[in-house]
Amino acid sequence: MEIRDVPCPFCGCLCDDISVRLDDNRILGVENCCTLGNAKFLSKGRLQHPIMRKNGKWVEVSYEEAIDETARILSDAVRPLLYGWSGTVGEAQVVGVHLGEEIGALIDSTTSVCHNPSILAIQEVGHPGCTLGQVKNRADLVIYWGCNPIEAHPRHMSRYTTYADGYFIDNTVTDRKVIVVDIRRSEGAKVADEFIQIKPGGDYLVLSALRAMVRGRDDVVPDSVAGVKKEQLQRVASLMQKAKFGAVFFGLGITMSRGKYKNVRNAIELVSELNRKTKFTISAMRGHFNVYGFNEVLTWMAGYPFAVDFSRGIAFYNPGETTVIDLLERKEPDACLVIASDPGAHFPKSTIEHMAAIPTVQIDPCVNATTALCQVQIPVAITGIEAAGTAYRMDGVPIRMKKIIETNFPTDQEILERIVTRIREMKRDG
Amino acid sequence: MRCTLSSGRTVPQGSFVEHKLSKGYQKATSILYMHPLDLMDLGIESGDRVRVTSDYGSVILTAEATEDIQTNNAYIALGPYANAITGGYTHATGMPDYKDIAVEIEPTDEPVPTVWELMEIIGGVRYGN
Amino acid sequence: MAEILLKNAYVIDPISGINGELMDIAISGSRIVEEASQKAEVIDCQGYLTLPGGIDSHTHTSGTKVNFGRYMSPEDMRAGRTARRGPMHITSGYSVPTTYGNSYRYSALGYTTLIEGAMAPLEARHTHEEFKFTPLQDSFANTLFDGNWGMLRALEEGDITRAAAIIAWTLTAVKGFAIKLTNPGGTEAWGFGKNISCINEKIPTFDLTPADIIKGAIRANEMLHLPHSVHLHCNNLGTPGNYTCTIGTFDLVPDINDKRQSLYATHVQFHSYGGSGWGDFCSKSEPVARKVDFSPQIVIDMGQVMFGRTTTMTADGPMEFNLYRLHHDKWSNHDVELETGSGIIPVNYRKKNLVNSIMWAIGLELALLVKNPWQCLLTTDNPNGAPFVKYPEIIALLMSKQYRDAEFATIHPDTEKRVPLPALDRELNWHEIAVMTRAGQARALGIIDLGKGYLMPGAEADIAIYPIKTDEIDPSAEYEKVIAGFSRTEYTIKRGRVVSRRGDAIIDGENTTYWVKPKVPAVYDMQHDPAFIELFERYYTVRMSNYPVQEEYLHRNYCIETETDL
Repeated sequence: MEIRDVPCPFCGCLCDDISVRLDDNRILGVENCCTLGNAKFLSKGRLQHPIMRKNGKWVEVSYEEAIDETARILSDAVRPLLYGWSGTVGEAQVVGVHLGEEIGALIDSTTSVCHNPSILAIQEVGHPGCTLGQVKNRADLVIYWGCNPIEAHPRHMSRYTTYADGYFIDNTVTDRKVIVVDIRRSEGAKVADEFIQIKPGGDYLVLSALRAMVRGRDDVVPDSVAGVKKEQLQRVASLMQKAKFGAVFFGLGITMSRGKYKNVRNAIELVSELNRKTKFTISAMRGHFNVYGFNEVLTWMAGYPFAVDFSRGIAFYNPGETTVIDLLERKEPDACLVIASDPGAHFPKSTIEHMAAIPTVQIDPCVNATTALCQVQIPVAITGIEAAGTAYRMDGVPIRMKKIIETNFPTDQEILERIVTRIREMKRDG
Repeated sequence: MRCTLSSGRTVPQGSFVEHKLSKGYQKATSILYMHPLDLMDLGIESGDRVRVTSDYGSVILTAEATEDIQTNNAYIALGPYANAITGGYTHATGMPDYKDIAVEIEPTDEPVPTVWELMEIIGGVRYGN
Repeated sequence: MAEILLKNAYVIDPISGINGELMDIAISGSRIVEEASQKAEVIDCQGYLTLPGGIDSHTHTSGTKVNFGRYMSPEDMRAGRTARRGPMHITSGYSVPTTYGNSYRYSALGYTTLIEGAMAPLEARHTHEEFKFTPLQDSFANTLFDGNWGMLRALEEGDITRAAAIIAWTLTAVKGFAIKLTNPGGTEAWGFGKNISCINEKIPTFDLTPADIIKGAIRANEMLHLPHSVHLHCNNLGTPGNYTCTIGTFDLVPDINDKRQSLYATHVQFHSYGGSGWGDFCSKSEPVARKVDFSPQIVIDMGQVMFGRTTTMTADGPMEFNLYRLHHDKWSNHDVELETGSGIIPVNYRKKNLVNSIMWAIGLELALLVKNPWQCLLTTDNPNGAPFVKYPEIIALLMSKQYRDAEFATIHPDTEKRVPLPALDRELNWHEIAVMTRAGQARALGIIDLGKGYLMPGAEADIAIYPIKTDEIDPSAEYEKVIAGFSRTEYTIKRGRVVSRRGDAIIDGENTTYWVKPKVPAVYDMQHDPAFIELFERYYTVRMSNYPVQEEYLHRNYCIETETDL
């Protein structure tokens, strides 16, 4: 049996044209998928039962016991942290937000350690963006800045930019120019028409130089900026202004490096400036397939895209204070629920040290680095393969993830709802 | 040798993302990419091990030469190895310095730790083997 | 079935021809009935003003653009936060409240039905997700077609029937309610950073003018027998001198529907400007209102501006960019492939600003000058002109010359020379207010048949009871009491249940989403049309099979099936 048009639950490209061949409820093969998605669809090996640490040793337990323990941990906590969310669907995230509200938790997502600075910049200066099809159909200039589509979003170029069929583009390979800006000559850089190699930490300077040039102030730009020659910048500034439709995509290369949100702000302001001369858009290359969905859900429910602290009975948002890394670094949480992410692998050492020191529960299909930090792990269905629901693509387009495999594993949403129910029972029973 | 280290995504890292305890993931996330001239300076070759030390910690990695980066720079896939030397300070932005980390790199014969070992160092308990 | 008996209700129900009668209203289940049994819960309305539940025929509360307004504005979120209380969830936001915030606050004002003003079809799932979390009001989505390539191509070929078929397929797919055109042609031009300045100017990428699109859409709309008319945001929003464009647009509209208007023009305040620039900017409400008076086929809404901070958000991407160049505050833009655009900027309408003062006056003038209140409905184009929580103040301004004069004395002194407002003595009465806030909406939207907008047996039991005794208040002098009375109902009843009591939501509620499904003959079913499929699969970035909004997003819903002339 073949199921067509399956959305891929890997990255923010959310390619929805995957064909999956099935036999007897098992995936035999996948078509149209990139290496990363392929690996996920064909992944084998998962945690079969809930596990709990008792006397320093892992033992298998029932779902009931695991949920009970989780509810007890969260009920007992004074400063609970609910973290992760990007690898699950909106329907589960909604339950998480309500849970956070009910127990006065701090809720944050992987956004905090990826495009959090992009959001901070957007909150300062806005975001001139578009859906990916607008780029596909119109853009004659594409700029990848501090991101690496070939390795992180392998089909981005073929579906949305360089190699994509476009309504207003006669020949997509010759009629679109691609510029890559990075500190290293990435795979993407090798196929670009222009590669700008910046010294680490130099993005802000280079963006400022380009802004000056777009404003006609080449004279203030020195001969070399962060390792980039002025002639190259002039060439690029000219390409930008001559484009009919320019699209900038940026990644963690500018959100994580020195300057952080100020880098993104500078990039957005460059794009806003370019709109006075031609059409330009800028978009973040979001990582997890539904990292943007959590931002959307939390925003319509609580008003902010990430890092919301419910402990005061209202939604309180102050990035730098209510962000997960800062919270852990201050050793504030006394309990933690991790879902659909793996902070054990992705957080700085000092912060996960604290997670290991407090009761931490993980809801995840697989054993991962975070498993080692937990007291309880509850395995669940794999979202987008064994569980359906809503995900938001990196450009904000919502797509319904499909369930293509039957499973006995409960979904994220079901587990969260059972935890909420149990917490209410405990509260009621004192 | 003083270097500026940045972390980021790579295809092998992403492919093993559902298998964080696998040898494949360990290998994919513990390679330190350096310019060949820097390897020469250290007197080592691709495949040799190095100790990388920042203000926040120290970890053993396997060096690999690439001309895709400039000298005095190093690159590593994101993951638990990179995080062993990343600090939790965020400059009040919520975002740690995952890029532009000042590190000292020196040759070593010590083995590259497993992901479980990294987790145990900070107080975790491995599951299974 | 639960029953409620409202006793001593002072009812104004314009659709049923009731203008201030003390009566009882019986409710059984979700409907108003002839009489209730002995078991009915009795609510004594004490002679309070009782109206059909409020209907906002043009508001932005749900979807991609609205949520981005929240996302980019933590300062606005902080400006309106409330704590969890009873069944009420926490809320954030002043001009763009969270979904619960919208729902509770609208409910406190007595509103039971909301029409989301602009839903991009590609992002429709998002709108429907937010509807679900706006539990105390029924939801309808105006669906954007201004830059829909399929429709534009059909119109280019002069094939109105095909255009109608594409509209039918899309509305059904995305569970939309009506055809919305926002700056027709302009949003498509904005795809390459351009705009359209006149209804007779050719769009750069299609052999069409805005006039062609508007006329074509109106005819297609009537071929599909949609409940509502075409819902138009005219070209040139916010431009000095744009009133000629607005009147020119009204001239295009035939009178082809005997139950309602043939065109609904929204937020006309923003389209009634005179002058050749900001220097000689002035009100042209008089010619626009006169045009409406002579055009029974047109209904407008005010788009009233009120002073203070708010957030502007519209599918009109190029207009928002122009606004950004005036305000230099933050600017977001979001073009939607093959369909439309959008933009957002925060603004602060200031009394000390002459242009803002004139804008404030124009909205009021339209409502006072248009003779027939059924043709000019009360809106702020929430939150563009002001957040909807300002509605009670607007009602009071329309009912009181004294209040208007008092406000006028505080605005920019030069306003007087640019607007006719000080000369307008008209004071609207309670009945006219009821028309402009519910009855007129129900008729213009074509939803009276669904039981909306009136209080006779058979109607949905959507009812607002305001702590106002009309015989004890002189609205022209006691406008503060009018504001207070309309700010917080005694009871808001939705589908037969009390959902809000003295400003607090008291139950979780569950909304109903209304959507249309025109019955299209097989030959015009775009689902199997090769050219339509090809356009879709080549140029959209979402597969055609993944595009329609799935049943899962329509928990409680009502499908309006229409017979068509295709």
